Amino acid sequence: MEDEPEKVYTDDRHGQYREMLYGYDKDGNFTKQVGYHGASERVILQQVWDEFKDRIEDARQKVLSGKASPILYYMEKNLLNAQDLATHTGICVWFVKRHLKPGAFQRLSEKKLKRYAEAFNITIDQLRKVE
Amino acid sequence: MIKLNFEHRQAGHCESGVTSNLLNYYGLKISEPMAFGIGAGLFFSYLPFLKMQHAPVTSFRVWPGMVFKRATSELGVKSGIFTFRSKKESMDKLKSTLDSGIPVGMQVGTFHLPFFPPEYRMHYNMHNMVVYGYDHDTFFVSDTLVEKPVEISYDDLVRVRFAQGTFAPRGRMYYPYDVPESVDIRPAILSGIKKTAHNMVGIPIPLVGVNGIRYLSRQMRTWEKRYGEAKASYYLGQVLRMEEEIGTAGAGFRFIYGAFLEESAEVLNKPFLREMAEEMGENANKWREFSYLGSRNCKKRAKPEESYDMLADMLYACAGREEKIFKKLSRM
Repeated sequence: MEDEPEKVYTDDRHGQYREMLYGYDKDGNFTKQVGYHGASERVILQQVWDEFKDRIEDARQKVLSGKASPILYYMEKNLLNAQDLATHTGICVWFVKRHLKPGAFQRLSEKKLKRYAEAFNITIDQLRKVE
Repeated sequence: MIKLNFEHRQAGHCESGVTSNLLNYYGLKISEPMAFGIGAGLFFSYLPFLKMQHAPVTSFRVWPGMVFKRATSELGVKSGIFTFRSKKESMDKLKSTLDSGIPVGMQVGTFHLPFFPPEYRMHYNMHNMVVYGYDHDTFFVSDTLVEKPVEISYDDLVRVRFAQGTFAPRGRMYYPYDVPESVDIRPAILSGIKKTAHNMVGIPIPLVGVNGIRYLSRQMRTWEKRYGEAKASYYLGQVLRMEEEIGTAGAGFRFIYGAFLEESAEVLNKPFLREMAEEMGENANKWREFSYLGSRNCKKRAKPEESYDMLADMLYACAGREEKIFKKLSRM
């Protein structure tokens, strides 16, 4: 296998993010060293972040064209799904899914909006619109 | 201000690293693979009905918290494990424990961890680290993933300890407090191996253990037809991420388990275990090869013969090898 080690992290403060790697060499010994993961690692990590980016962009377009509420955008931006968002806000998942629609979002009370804003760590004014 | 004389050692897997470091603080020299093996950390489960990051969950380890619990109880170390409802109460308990000179391990969520590599900041609630001191609102943290000891603020620590979502930690903290002077680790090793063998070949549920690997292999053949190319590649990527990403030390813990078998062969003076360690090493290398070819598939650079069928065949062969190894180990 020609898996060259590659520096995976963009924000690598003085090589702080080197990891402990175990291995098994040809002589039949288990090895242990500090280093970077292989290039194949880079690909599979990149894949999940590409997926997240696509979902965020999709959600943004939906909100701008009026098909979804800003909660969808902030939910995707925080890498959450409806179930997770329900546990973060303490609002039942059935209602969370309802609030993803623009009509239901318009009728939300200040109190509910505040709970969403707290979960996303932003203000209510920010929650009403997307960047 | 309190800062305990805690030795920070980097490790491959967060929980067994934390267990090993905590026991090391009390003078009980247990290496990381040893803690992992005695804690019976190796496992496999494929749960298609649970989704994580929009793909089915594949897990190569036991339930979070089990490694510490099993390892300490097998070694006859008394330990305390706590979860909390109140945030304030949990932080007060942490401070009072540190005041009495005990370093504390805790389960945290990784999404808000400030010192974590940005690429790894997803919602993953099964990370473990040790807090070994504080100065007003700054806490001193030894995280086995990072090379040097780091610091974290009070607010950030509260947020990561009470992260929400699947496997929410609920402020979970744990520490050993009564560590015997010298421990005979031989019975603990045997019990750990038996438990792992049972987990891998003894549970008659098709989703876990060796059967789980076979089930995943069967499912993998149908992915492309059922979900289309893009989603199938994403699902494959998820399996590889769980296998190679944070805290598995490579090949889904198979390297670390092999190292454990090798070490216990010396402790128990059994050449049989040495043979098993060699087989486990070969097996781990096969897993590595699987993830290497699989990642080429994710990059869309695979040769035509490197299809999902071929990857599934490789998985099936891995399952066969592991079944052989663990059947032999369970008969020991």
